[in-house]
Amino acid sequence: MAATEPAYEVELSCAVNGEPVHVRVDTRESLLDLLRERLGVTGPKKGCDHGQCGACTVHLDGRRVVSCLTPAVQVAGADVTTVEGLAGPDGELHPLQQAFIDHDALQCGYCTPGQIMSGLACLAEGHAGDDDQVREYMSGNLCRCGAYAGIVAAVRAVAEQQGR
Amino acid sequence: MSPQPADLPPVDTRRVDAREKVTGAARYATDLLPDDLAYAVPATATVGRGRITELDTSAAAAVPGVLLVLTHLDHLDLRSPGFVMGGGYGVQSLQPLLDDQIAYRGQAIALVVAETLIAATQAANLVRAVYEPEPFAVTLDSPGVERLSQPATIPLPFLADLDVGDAESAYAAAPVRVDAVYDQPAQHQNPMELIGATVWWHGDSVVVHEGTQNAAAIRHGLARQLGIDPDHVEVVSPYTGGGFGQKNSLQIHIAPLAVAARRLGRPVKLVVSRTQLFHHTSFRPASRHRIRLGADEHGRMLAALHDVEHQTSRFDLFPLMYTETTARLYGIGDFRGRQTFARMDTQTPGFMRAPFEHPGVFAFESAVDELAYAAHRDPLEFRLANDTTVDPVTGEPFSSRHLAQCLRRGAKRFGWSARQQRPASMRADDGSLVGWGVAVGAYPASIVPSAAHLVATADGRIRVEVDGHEMGQGIRSSIALLVAENLGIDVRHVDIVVGDTRVATQHLTAGSWGTASTLGAVHAALRELRKQLGTEINGPVDVTAAVAATGHDHVEVRAETLGPGQTEQDAEHARQGLVALSGPEFTGYSTFSWIAHFVEVRVEPTTCRIRVPRVVSVADCGRVASPVTAASQVRGGIVWGIGASLREAGEVDPRYGGWLNASLEEYPVPVNADIGTLDVDFIGEPDLRFHPVGVKGLGEVSMVGVAAAVANAVYHATGLRHRRLPIRIEDVLAGTTGSSR
Repeated sequence: MAATEPAYEVELSCAVNGEPVHVRVDTRESLLDLLRERLGVTGPKKGCDHGQCGACTVHLDGRRVVSCLTPAVQVAGADVTTVEGLAGPDGELHPLQQAFIDHDALQCGYCTPGQIMSGLACLAEGHAGDDDQVREYMSGNLCRCGAYAGIVAAVRAVAEQQGR
Repeated sequence: MSPQPADLPPVDTRRVDAREKVTGAARYATDLLPDDLAYAVPATATVGRGRITELDTSAAAAVPGVLLVLTHLDHLDLRSPGFVMGGGYGVQSLQPLLDDQIAYRGQAIALVVAETLIAATQAANLVRAVYEPEPFAVTLDSPGVERLSQPATIPLPFLADLDVGDAESAYAAAPVRVDAVYDQPAQHQNPMELIGATVWWHGDSVVVHEGTQNAAAIRHGLARQLGIDPDHVEVVSPYTGGGFGQKNSLQIHIAPLAVAARRLGRPVKLVVSRTQLFHHTSFRPASRHRIRLGADEHGRMLAALHDVEHQTSRFDLFPLMYTETTARLYGIGDFRGRQTFARMDTQTPGFMRAPFEHPGVFAFESAVDELAYAAHRDPLEFRLANDTTVDPVTGEPFSSRHLAQCLRRGAKRFGWSARQQRPASMRADDGSLVGWGVAVGAYPASIVPSAAHLVATADGRIRVEVDGHEMGQGIRSSIALLVAENLGIDVRHVDIVVGDTRVATQHLTAGSWGTASTLGAVHAALRELRKQLGTEINGPVDVTAAVAATGHDHVEVRAETLGPGQTEQDAEHARQGLVALSGPEFTGYSTFSWIAHFVEVRVEPTTCRIRVPRVVSVADCGRVASPVTAASQVRGGIVWGIGASLREAGEVDPRYGGWLNASLEEYPVPVNADIGTLDVDFIGEPDLRFHPVGVKGLGEVSMVGVAAAVANAVYHATGLRHRRLPIRIEDVLAGTTGSSR
C-alpha cells in the first residue's frame, strides 16, 4: 500500500454546530468534504461541487456560503452551522423547518438542507420582504423537484411571524 | 378523499417523511460513512469513438493513498447486465472497463480507488490513454447515423406502427390542414442527488446502498454481472434524491465498485461528478416529429399522422412510444403513427420524466394549436369540440376521462374568456406582450405486480413493508394516508419501509405506476389484516385491542397483487427483477391520466425575454391519494415543463462528441425566480374500473403538455410559431427581426 500522508496538511480548530472540532485537513479539501466524509455531518449535500446548486449551503460565522467552494482551511477559528444545528435541544424544530413541512416546501429532500440554510440567511439579510424578493434571493438553490412555490411560501410565512 | 367520521380528528395530510428531510436526518446512499471506507473516481475517454491503444496508469498508481486502479487490463470478469428495455437490468448493455473499445466520449476507462476522495480525484486525472479514433455521429443530422424502422427491428406488438382507419386519405381530403416538423433536444434529468453508491461485502454477500427507482434491477443485474446468486445481493435505498427516470435501472459503476470492494476487502463509495453524470447514464434522446393534421370547416379533426424519430446508441435500442399517447388525445378517427430509431455514438438514452409524452405532446399540441388557428377557432373550444369518451385506437371506452372538465375548470380559474384570439393583441401595463396558451396532456396508466407485508402490533402501530421507492413523489405519504384512513388511526402510527430488497422485490418505480401499484398491494393487505383481526370490513379499528384479542403481540399479513389481466408469469418476471407492466389497454377499456394546462407568458419587447408569471393546471388522476404531495407533484411537473420549453438542451459538439454543457451552470434548469404563480386543481373522481381504490398515475402527466401551452402562449403573444425547443431569447429576436437561428 502506498503511503497515505497527503502532501499539504494544516491543523485547525473550529466549531461545527457548537461542538469544538480539531482536525488535520488537506489544503485541497473542501469544507463540504470535511463535513461529510470526515466529520459525518451529512446534512449538507453534494449536488454539483462547483457552487452552482446550493445543496451544500451552510453558515460560516452566520453568513451563508456554499461549502463545496469553501476550502476547509478557511474555517479555522470559525463557527460552522449546518441544518443539523437548527433544531432545539429537545428536537423542537426551528420555525423555518416547521414552515417547510407545513408548506410542503420539499419533495425528495436532497436540496432541502441547503434551501433551509439559505432561507434563514434570506430572512436575516432582510431579503424576505415579498414573494418576488424571496424568489430572487433563493435562486442560488436549485430544486429539481420544483418545490419552489412551497419554498417561497415557507420563507414568507416565517418572515411574517418575525414581522419582517 | 372519503369523508372522515365526525368522532375522529382530521387526518394530517402533510408529507410523512418531511421531518427527516428538514433536519438532515434522512440518510441518502452516499451519506453513509462505514469504517475503513475507500473512495472511487472514474477516469473517462476523451475521444468520440475508437480504441485504446495505450493506457498508462503508473502516475495514478503512484499518488499517495491510491489503493487500486481498475482498467480493462485487469480482467474484471463481469458479464453484461443487459439493457433494461431488452430483457436485462442495466441503463445500457455496454459495461465499460471490459475491453479496449470506446463507444462514446466520456465512457469510463479506469476506476481509481484511494484512501481519500482527494487522492482518488488527483489520481484519476493522471490516467493517460492513447486512442485510435474512429468517425462518430452525435446529432440527428450527422452523417453516419443509422436509421431503422422500429417495427421492422423489434417486432413486438406494443412497438408496432399505429394504423387506425386510413389517415393518409383522410388527411388528403381534409379542407384544413397543418404539416409541420417539431424538434426536441436531448435533455438530462439532473436529479439533485448525484448518481452514486456505497458498496461493501459481508462474507459472500454484497451490500449496495444507492439512490434508485429500481432496487430489484440492481440486485438481479449485479448478480448476473458477478455470476452470483441474487440472494447474495442486498440493495437498500430508503431515500432517492430525485430520480426522474435516470435512476431506473442498474448503473454502470455498481459492478466495478463491487469488484473493487471485494479486492480491497473494504467499503467503497463513488459519487459521480455532475460533469461525468452527463456521460455516465441515461438522458432524454433528441427527437424529431412530423405532424400532419386535417380538420373539416367546422373544426372537427379528421386525420392525424405522427412520424417520429429519436436517437439511440449503437448498442441498444431505446424504444419509441410517442404515438401511443398522441393517438389518444382526441377523438380522431384516422390516425397513423410511424416510429424510427436513429443510432449514433452516445451512451444509451433512456427515460426522463414523461419520456415520450412530453416531446410527443409538445409536437402534437403545438400542431393542434396551429390547426385551431387555421380553422379560425378558439384553441380551447377547438379542443373541447374534439373530445372523446372512446379510445380511438381500440374502440373501447376509457375507464375514466375527465379531460373536458379539466379544460373547463382550468379555463374558468385562468380567466380564459377574457382572451383575445388575435396573436400579439394583448399587452401588459409595462408594455410586455402577453400571450395565453392552452394545451392538454395524457399519460398511459400502468400497474405492476406488487407485494405488501403488514404488521399490526399491540402498541397500535402498523408497519408496512412494501414494493416501492421514495424519490420525492411522496409514496410514504400515500401509503400512510391509505392505512390511516382505512383503519381510522393516526398517520404517525404507520411505519413504512420501501426501497429495500430485504423486505420486498422492489420492482421498478417509474412510469407513474408506483402509487397505484403499491396502494393496490397495501389495500389488499389491509383487507387480509381485517380478516386476521376479525374486524368488520369497513370502519375504524382499535388496533391495540384487536391485536390483544388475538392473544398475540402482533399480527402479520401478506398480499401480492397484479395489474388487471396479469398472471403468475408476470409476478415471476417481477420477482426476477424484470419490468412487468400492464396497461394502458385492458380487457374492455383503456386507462390514461389527463391534464389541461393554461399558461400566461410575457415577452419583454426589446430583449424578447420570456417570463411565465402564472400557470393553471387541472388534472384527472383518479382518486387523489395524497393531496399535499399530489399538488407538489403537479407543481413540479409544471416547473419541468417550463424548463423544457425555455431552458434545457443537452448540447453536443459534432467535432468532438460528448456533451458540451455538462454542468448545472451551462445546462440551466429552472430556478426559483423563473417560477411564478402555480394554481393546481384536481378532478378527484376515483377510477374504480382501473384500480381498487381508484388511483391513476400523476407524476408524469403533470409535465405533459406544459411545453406546448408555453409555446402556444408565445405564439399568442408574438404571432411567431416556435417548433424547436427550447424557445430562447435569440429565437424570439430572430422571429421579430426576420432572421433565423
